[in-house]
Parts: sequence; C-alpha cells; structure tokens
Amino acid sequence: MAAFSLSACAGEALVLGLATGPVCLASCGPVVVPWMLVQPNGVRVHSRQLLLFLTARLAGYLAFAAALWLVGSTIPRSWPGRSWLFGSVQLLLAIALVVYAAGFPRRRCALAKPSTDLVQIGEASPPRSSGALALGFLTGINLCPPFLVAGVRAAQLATLSASLLFFLFFFAGTALWFVPFLSLGFVRRTPALVTVARMVAVLLACWYGFSGITNLIERALYG
Amino acid sequence: MASRSSNLTHPPVFRGVGRSILLTVPIALWSLLMFTPAFQHAGRNLRIGAVAAILFMTALFFLMMRTGETYRWRRIFFVALGFLFPVGFIASLVAERGTMSIPISRMVSGDTPFCFMVTPSLLVPAAFARTIIFPGSILPTASNPHSIAVMIGLWFAFTLVLGKAWCSYACFFGGIEEGFAAFPKRRRLHKFITRWGSRLRLVPWAILLFVVLGSAVLFEPVYCMWLCPFKTVTEFPAVRNVETAIQFGVFIALFAGLVVALPFLTKKRTQCGFFCPFGAFQSLFNKINLFEIRFDRAKCVDCTLCQTTCPTVALSSESIREGKTLLNCMKCGACVDVCKKDAAVWHLKGTPVAVKPERARLLFLYGAWALATMFGGSILANSVAAMIGFLPWK
Repeated sequence: MAAFSLSACAGEALVLGLATGPVCLASCGPVVVPWMLVQPNGVRVHSRQLLLFLTARLAGYLAFAAALWLVGSTIPRSWPGRSWLFGSVQLLLAIALVVYAAGFPRRRCALAKPSTDLVQIGEASPPRSSGALALGFLTGINLCPPFLVAGVRAAQLATLSASLLFFLFFFAGTALWFVPFLSLGFVRRTPALVTVARMVAVLLACWYGFSGITNLIERALYG
Repeated sequence: MASRSSNLTHPPVFRGVGRSILLTVPIALWSLLMFTPAFQHAGRNLRIGAVAAILFMTALFFLMMRTGETYRWRRIFFVALGFLFPVGFIASLVAERGTMSIPISRMVSGDTPFCFMVTPSLLVPAAFARTIIFPGSILPTASNPHSIAVMIGLWFAFTLVLGKAWCSYACFFGGIEEGFAAFPKRRRLHKFITRWGSRLRLVPWAILLFVVLGSAVLFEPVYCMWLCPFKTVTEFPAVRNVETAIQFGVFIALFAGLVVALPFLTKKRTQCGFFCPFGAFQSLFNKINLFEIRFDRAKCVDCTLCQTTCPTVALSSESIREGKTLLNCMKCGACVDVCKKDAAVWHLKGTPVAVKPERARLLFLYGAWALATMFGGSILANSVAAMIGFLPWK
C-alpha cells in the first residue's frame, strides 16, 4: 500500500512537472540562454553546463522541499518573509548573472599585472562550473508558479522522504523541457554573439535587481 | 545618362523631365487608387488631406527620378511621417477618450490599437501557450480597426517586399529622430560613434533577446510596458501608482535621450541603430529580401564617406572591403547618394553587381514607394485632416 502511494505520488509529481514545464522553461530561460551563449559552442560543453545547472537546480528544489516539510505548511501569500525571500533571491540572481554570465568584474589587464599564464597556448580554459551551479541553485529556489504549486502538494505529504521524492520527480518532469537548450551548442560562436549574450545578462541582471529591490522596499514599507 | 553627383545641396539633373514624369506615372496612379475611398466616403478635411498626400508623395517620387537621389527626398517624406503621425494619432485619441493614457477598461476589453513593435514579443507565448499577450483584438472591430491581424498582415506584406527598408520607408517612429538628426549642420560625438559604434549596434539584438525572454516570463509585452520611447508621443498606461510612474519616467528618458538629444548631437538615428529591438528583428528579413546595397570594389577608394554618413552605423571597414553592408542596413540610400565614385550601388540579388544599378533602384523604389504611399500616405492624409480640424476658421 505504501509502495503504491509512493509510486502514485511520484507519478503525480512527474505529471505535474511535465505539465508545468513550459512555465519553468519561460521562468529559467532568461537565465539559461545568456549563460549558455557565453560558453564555447559544442554539445559536450553545453551538456555539461546544463547538467550542472540542473543538478544545482535540483539541490535548490530539495533544500526547499525539506524546508517546507520541516515548516509543515506552504508559504502563504500573507507570510511576512515572502517579500524578503523573493527580493533576496532576485538580488542574488542579479549579482550571479553579472558575475558569471556577463563576466564582471573583469580580470585586470594582464599587461598591468604580468603573470605566468599571460601567454596562453592551446585551447581556452574550460568554462567555470561555479556559474552553472550558482545560477541553477538560485533559479531552483526562485519561487516560480509551478514551484509553488509543487510546494503546496509537497507540504501535505506525510514524511520528509515523500516530500523530497515528490520534488525529485517534479524536477525530472520539468527538466525534460530543458533539453532543447542543448541546441544552443550548435550555434556558431562569434565575438558579436558572445557580446550580445553578455549584454542580455546585464539587462536581465538589471531587471532582477529592480524586481528584488522593489520587493524589499515593498516589505520595508508595508511589512 | 549623367553620372550621379553627390552634392546633396544642389540636386543635379539626372533624367529629363519627360522621362521622369513617365516613370512617376505608375506611382501617381497608385496614389489615386489608394485614396479613392477617401474621395468617395470621407469628409471634406480628409479629402483635402488625401489630395495633399497624393501630391506630396508623387512630387517626391518625381524628384527621386529627376535627380537620381533617394535619401534626400525619402527623408522629407519620412520626417513628415514621423512628425505628423503623433499629431493625427493624439488628435484621434483625445477626440475619442479625452486623454492619451489608455484606460484599464480599454485594455480589458481588448481595444488597444496594435503596434507592430510588439510582434517579436508575441512569438514565444504564442508558440508555447497559444496566447497573444497583447490587450488588443485579433480581428478588426468597429472600435478598433487597428487589430493584431491587420497590423501584422500589413507589416508582413511590407517586410517581404522591403526587408529592413521598413525602418526607412514605413516606420512612423523613425522619422522623428531622423528629423532631429537633420537639424544640426555638423555632427558632434563623432569619435564616440567611431569608437563604440561596432558594439552599440549589437545592443538592439540584446534588447530583442531580452524582450523576447522577458515577455515569455511575465506574459506581457515587456517592450511596450517598460522600454518604448514612443509611448511619450502616442499612448501610455495611465499613471496611477509608483510602477506606472516609473514606466512613464523611463519612456520620457528614453525619448529625450535616444530620439531627441543623441540624434541631434550625432546626426545618427540612435534609437533605430542602437536600441530598437524591432529593428533587429527586421534585420533578419534582409537575408531573404531581394534588394540590397553593394559596393563596386573596382571603383571604391576607401574614402569611408559612406561609413560616416550612414545614419544607423550599418557599414564597417570590413563590410565595405567585402563589398556589402551589414545586416542592419535600412536601405535609406544615404551611402549611394553620397558616394563620389558611384561605388555604392543598389543591387538586385542574383544579378551581377554594379551592372545597371539604376534598374535595381527603380524596382526597389516602385515597391517601397507604393507601400509608403499606401501606409504612410494614409497616415499623412489623416494627420493633415486632423490639423485642418484644429484651424480656428475651419
């Protein structure tokens, strides 16, 4: 019976993830697209980056699921910390986009500070994993609508493991929608394309920053 | 046929009067055809506006034929369109609702006139959610003839014929900044444009991607809600809280900076060249469009006069060396007119470069001017009619 309820729970989560995947795609797309476009092209690089991103996103999901279950209830609309959480996550996302996708602050000019790796021979250094991890985790805990729906259901489950399992399968359902992002690996990288991707990252950072600050001000003003 | 001179202040004789008139006849007939409904059904003011528009458009086309210059005469039409469009549009708004702001009730009832600028924002939500994220009706209604289907249909017809020349012959926003760019005698900030132009022309692509992604997330046309400079001179959401006040502030700042101040200082169309996401989207259609500007390398002396003249920084040294313009060329004809060596030429894809370029120009101009007359001409006629309505002795 317990096995049946667990598999039913997993099935429900998977279907929920698949059904709400396009919303997840729209929600995470603005972060994933510029990040992927600043990477070198090639499906292998993109697969690795996407895997890291999704792993970190899963970690965010599970951390949130555990927190929800521990709290024992969903985050209601009237929860006073909601604006703080929203605002803080968005601000962190803005900073992460600026640092990782846009590449600011840039390294100091090599000529100003000569070092042994001034002359680079061979292939360029591989992309930083920490960027995909940070962006994935922050989008994981960003409270997008499908995530909140899943949170409601996860909080109703009897055990922590069931709650985590629910989010795991929900994640699997949504993650399938991310596979088309691998096609960005086929796009030929030109300096212009990378510059455009960095500009998009800055614009998105401004947008998340504005949203974050608005949320924090709203919290400060209205409590 | 006389060689084209680049002296823009004294138009040379390029064709005889008789030949120029003959070449203008199709446009004159087309103009009459376009305005036939105005003569049959409209009131006195609109009839006067229609006559003015027919004469204006036909005269400009005649001058294009007579002088061989494109840019100067096109600019007169385009600036008139840019400055007169808000007059007619605001007049109709004020007459209809008493304000330029859009009431929420009109948004809810789907009566907001559709603007082609939104088109790229609609794509992702329409593809994934089968939803049009614009508060307008898809088919025309009595209260909103400028519906989504009508405007997208018009835009698509234009785009197939003109490619990105839409931005130089049809967009009723671009004329405003082209007007401000025409005022000063000499350009300032030239070094700034030379130094940063190559990066700045990538900004519209970034804004396009941002707008498309943002619209998919928020399920609202982000460009319209937050970034459109032309809201200042058309219509905007009513200011009723801090958010709408910030939006309105952004509109005014962008308009003042990109449409007025920077064009005045640089003599460039800075909003079109360095900001407009719809322009970037439109650039993609240059790939499939038949007409383009090419450079005859045998004649080109690399004087870079075309590069400095181009109003949207759509030329680079590399592209000229390759004999091409960049993807964001709006086919305004400035480079062709200014070239002293006749190295910049109109070109029909699939034909040899610089062989009978005037024929390619004619073919392009017939299409462009016919559509400009149909679309811009009717806007001009309406605006003239609105202005006559303002006259105290009407």
